[in-house]
Amino acid sequence: MTRDLRTERKGRILAVRDLPTLPNVLEEVTRLVERADSSTEEVAKLISMDQVLSAKVLKMVNSPVYGFSGRISTIQHALVLLGFNVLRSIIVSTSVFEVMTENMVGLWEHSLGCAMACGELARMLDFKDAEEYAVAGLLHDLGKVVATVQLPDLKPEIERVVAERDLYYLEAEREVLGFGHDRINAWLADYWKLPPNIKEGLSYHHKPHLAQLYPEMACVVHVGDFIVRVFEYGFSGDVGVPYLQPEAVKILNLTPAQFEILLDHMCDQYMELVAGQSS
Amino acid sequence: MANTFPGAFPRIPKITVLSPDAAFVALFSQAFAPEEAEVTVWPRGRGALEHLFLDPPDLLVVDQALSDISGLELVGMVKCENVYRQLPVALVLDEQELADGVDWSAAEVDELLTRPLTPTMLRARVLLTLTRALRTFDANPLTRLPGNTSIISRIQELIDRREDFALAYADLDYFKSFNDKYGFSRGDEVLMMTARIIVNTVRGVGGPTAFVGHVGGDDFIFLLPPQQVEEACKTVVASFDDIVPHFYDAADRVQGFIESTDRDGNLRSFPLMAISLAIVFNRNGRLRHYGEASQAVMTLKKKAKANPRSCYVLDTEND
Repeated sequence: MTRDLRTERKGRILAVRDLPTLPNVLEEVTRLVERADSSTEEVAKLISMDQVLSAKVLKMVNSPVYGFSGRISTIQHALVLLGFNVLRSIIVSTSVFEVMTENMVGLWEHSLGCAMACGELARMLDFKDAEEYAVAGLLHDLGKVVATVQLPDLKPEIERVVAERDLYYLEAEREVLGFGHDRINAWLADYWKLPPNIKEGLSYHHKPHLAQLYPEMACVVHVGDFIVRVFEYGFSGDVGVPYLQPEAVKILNLTPAQFEILLDHMCDQYMELVAGQSS
Repeated sequence: MANTFPGAFPRIPKITVLSPDAAFVALFSQAFAPEEAEVTVWPRGRGALEHLFLDPPDLLVVDQALSDISGLELVGMVKCENVYRQLPVALVLDEQELADGVDWSAAEVDELLTRPLTPTMLRARVLLTLTRALRTFDANPLTRLPGNTSIISRIQELIDRREDFALAYADLDYFKSFNDKYGFSRGDEVLMMTARIIVNTVRGVGGPTAFVGHVGGDDFIFLLPPQQVEEACKTVVASFDDIVPHFYDAADRVQGFIESTDRDGNLRSFPLMAISLAIVFNRNGRLRHYGEASQAVMTLKKKAKANPRSCYVLDTEND
């Protein structure tokens, strides 16, 4: 791929202004925000279930306007610092895409499931600020969403390559776009001035052993992504389960016994989620 | 390029116009050459909010006749945030709408543009508004919160009206050692964060009319009705303690203290920053003058500072 084409596509990706968000979350957040007795925790919990709102909130609080770029990586802290007024404005200015593709609805569930696994794993390993690992898990495939919104013409092509040549979605993206969603994530993280630990979680989740600054973050997201795929909760764009990098397990010092407990926990949690959704 | 813009604005001003009226929008290209002003147009209001909050222009022109939100409502959303208060706003109305009586004391607009308008008049009004905005406000240059003049007059006003109120004085412990170690721009980040916590908490508890001021440095004050102040202090303390560790480098955050030099130049360790709040009450017109409030709160502040952790101290003796 020529350099010009690549630069042009990067430009189109970063021209992203309106990301779609899920209408039902939007309504619930609005209702909660408008209720006088709602707590920040309640609102944070709701926002955390939507990758797009989460990204917007983090982008806003880390923007230079507020004067502490790159410091805030949890939704709850972001809400304390932004306040409900700004949050409400983010919500009303978030244009909801009326038609959500099947792929993206599945991707949302995949992201949510990954976030839960990352949070659970980080707590199991006694990592500080486990919530930040969940945020990275939630946003780890944001690049896929942005690519389909900004480069809609290339999405069917990626899907065709995945189906016909039996490639992973990431490989197909690299083939068709010239770069994968991990690269897009890195651009978005820089562009939105997200904290460096979140950036590494997003951009190294497919090659966690290469992460330089926050290898634990990248490894947790890698393992979380693996787990949610094993249980086939949501749809990431791939039918199969990718290779679990042994280095990631090693870096995290995750024992087989711990891994087993984690799998049990996540199995229960996904079952609960599915039961809750169908009721 | 320097003097193409007669308002002596230091750079090409960015003007954002929110209006569905194509004829009005077209006036801007007649009034200003492209190299004089960078004009961005949004036909609707809601979609523009995020853009405005992320990249505020030098002047915001809002048409009252937006289809999706009233112009004044939108202005209110922008202006009640401390970081956007300095953004000058011009409201666009039809002249006959003035007869309906706009509540100008509640409208936070800086300039009024009435239709029908000529390019010459538009040009003059915009220049005037931009230049006026350049003049100094009594706002803290960092947080843009009201400064001492506004603080004193607000307190004196409440005293004169014999209104019950609580005056809270907040300052940070170990801010100086943080500044010494990490540098002033990292210190400014902490002040901006502190201001946001206080603003959001105080407004959440007391509504949009609650007052927050920035005395300077790491000193802030806020005013609330007496029965609401304790809840606000608890929330400020909890939020501050929760968030401030993230402003340290990971190693210092983990060890829970920093090494820095004290006033005598000796290397020693300092705890992570904490917030101290001292609160005095004015009930039944006890206070006569701003100075009494300020003296009482400064005395009490020493008590709050004696505790190295975040805490608040209520003035129970005089209450």
